[in-house]
Amino acid sequence: MTNQDAETSRLRGLMLVAGREIRVRGLAKSNLISLLVTVVIVGVLAALPTLIGGDDSDEKIGLAGANAAAMESQLDAMGGFEVTVYDSRAEAEQAVKDEELEASVADGVLFSREGVGQELQTLLDAAWQAASVQTNLNEAGLTDAQIGEALAVQPLEVVSDEASGIGSALDYFTGLIISIIMFMMLMTPVQYIAMGVVEEKSSRIVEILLTSLKPWQLLGGKIIGLGVISLVNLVAMIAVGLGVASATGLLDNLPEGTASAAISAVGWWLIAFLLFGALAGGVGSLVSRQEEAGSVLTPLIMALSLSYVGAIFLLNAPTSTFAEVLSIVPPFSAIAMPTRMAIAEVPVWQVSLSVALLAASAAGALALGSQLYKRSVLYTGSRLKLTDALRRAA
Amino acid sequence: MLEIKDLHKRFGDVVALDGVSLTASPGEVVGFVGANGAGKTTTMRIAMGVLAADSGEISYDGAPLGVEERRRFGYMPSERGLYPKMKTADQIAYFGELHGLAKATARRSAADLLEQLNLTDRAGDFVQDLSLGNQQRVQLAVSLVHNPEVLILDEPFSGLDPIAVDVMGTALRDRAAAGAPVLFSSHQLDLIERLCDSVVIIGNGKIIAGGTVTELKAKEVKQLRVTVATDEDLTGRFPGTVTRDGDDYLVEDTDDQEVLRIAAAAGRVTHFAYDQPTIAEIFREAVTR
Repeated sequence: MTNQDAETSRLRGLMLVAGREIRVRGLAKSNLISLLVTVVIVGVLAALPTLIGGDDSDEKIGLAGANAAAMESQLDAMGGFEVTVYDSRAEAEQAVKDEELEASVADGVLFSREGVGQELQTLLDAAWQAASVQTNLNEAGLTDAQIGEALAVQPLEVVSDEASGIGSALDYFTGLIISIIMFMMLMTPVQYIAMGVVEEKSSRIVEILLTSLKPWQLLGGKIIGLGVISLVNLVAMIAVGLGVASATGLLDNLPEGTASAAISAVGWWLIAFLLFGALAGGVGSLVSRQEEAGSVLTPLIMALSLSYVGAIFLLNAPTSTFAEVLSIVPPFSAIAMPTRMAIAEVPVWQVSLSVALLAASAAGALALGSQLYKRSVLYTGSRLKLTDALRRAA
Repeated sequence: MLEIKDLHKRFGDVVALDGVSLTASPGEVVGFVGANGAGKTTTMRIAMGVLAADSGEISYDGAPLGVEERRRFGYMPSERGLYPKMKTADQIAYFGELHGLAKATARRSAADLLEQLNLTDRAGDFVQDLSLGNQQRVQLAVSLVHNPEVLILDEPFSGLDPIAVDVMGTALRDRAAAGAPVLFSSHQLDLIERLCDSVVIIGNGKIIAGGTVTELKAKEVKQLRVTVATDEDLTGRFPGTVTRDGDDYLVEDTDDQEVLRIAAAAGRVTHFAYDQPTIAEIFREAVTR
């Protein structure tokens, strides 16, 4: 057999194992149903702000009196109003009483049934002042064009120093969703990898498998297979989330970085998955029975849960030292950094450092996990201690 | 030819194998017999590369056995293992592919085996839904799917019903007839006697007896058993040491032709043969020696 053939068969073994995982786990009814449910939940969550913010229809405002014409053009310019001009103040106020209108403005009086919202009052106030100014200038003998020129004021550009400030509720919401999805999408496959390793060990099928496969192919194939399944789930969630958000117009209201934060979360997930997946495979091989799998997985699940809880804390203080440290130190950075990136501006050096550290730990985890696996996968009996496993001959 | 030479293996203080050697030639069915803990499983696991020996070597057709050669072997471990939540036909085909078959070939081979093992109607069922006996058949199919050049089977008959035993036995003989060396262990010595060309007996990590079934039996030949249809008592007339076993005479240490002449003169000889020990008797003898 030539080197190239051997290479092909090594790759083929890896892909066969990965393919089996995808067929058996990915296409399992339970996975498809949970994917569907999750996608629906994400879709609903993405649509929620719009649904709650709901009443976007135009405010019905009645106008009458001297300034009515000027008011009308002001309100039209602002947008979001449905304006009706009445002949008299009485008619306009009657329409408000009949609940045909939200409020009326006539002869300097804002009339409503039980007061108007702060926002509406501010807008109507602004329009009233502008209209009054226009009327006054008109009376002073200026032409409409001159008035237009005089009133043409560039509106204030709103700039916020996000790195030092806390983001809006929407940023918080985005960060929250990212941290939840990252946590879920790491927890589930990591447990599946460990369970799969233990399943093969406890059923002794590993003994047959290892007559035609190398241990690294078996573990690597499992990690790749579950990685592909999870990646499909993750991409589906993000696509649905961003899709719904952009369809409902929510995306335009989100800070510019949101879409890219969501997409870069996939990259973070990939590195973190390698890290946790390799370790899960390694520790899974230490036990021979399904009941013992939980005990060896505990440290990993703790680390993941702490990362998640840390990310939630971080959401409330994205600019604190705690947030900066947490989003750089692996493995916590895996969830903390993409969450922080969604809610605050993060200096490039911090992101690069965080990626580098996480990738380095993932490489370390791969080495450790595969060594553990290689040494203990064929051992049966009581649970192996970590140190004993590493001392064993491969 | 599969050759196992001078294997040594210790587990801590326990010596599991102490210089085990055996060979299996093409077309030969070799029975591997020994008490529990004698070293059968350890020997087979080392032969399949799932366990490393402390010393000793295994060669196939004169060359050291490697991963690529082993992929063409069929193996059934002592503890059965199948994916419980995988469909029967898929599972068999998957192992075929792992052993290097193309996808289509693997599927065809799996279907053929299911047919032979009367499992065609269970092809789409999850393995966990099959009875234990049927799972054993699937396990056999897994070890045969890639048309292996060598078969190494650890206790292939344990837990099988008589029909499945026949199916398994036929499968082993068929593979041997096709030129594959077959090595299997069993505690069912009647099966070993019926199926094997040669037998290797292991005790405490050492080979204590071995050879073809005829050789072994010849070595352990016992007395001459003679049955004659006559009322006369021939005990005093036969030469050598004579004892009675019911109506039979058991004659030892003498010229058998002389015994035959005397018997024929006395009446019709209905049985005249050396008692042959069963493999079970040879085994007991070898182990207690």
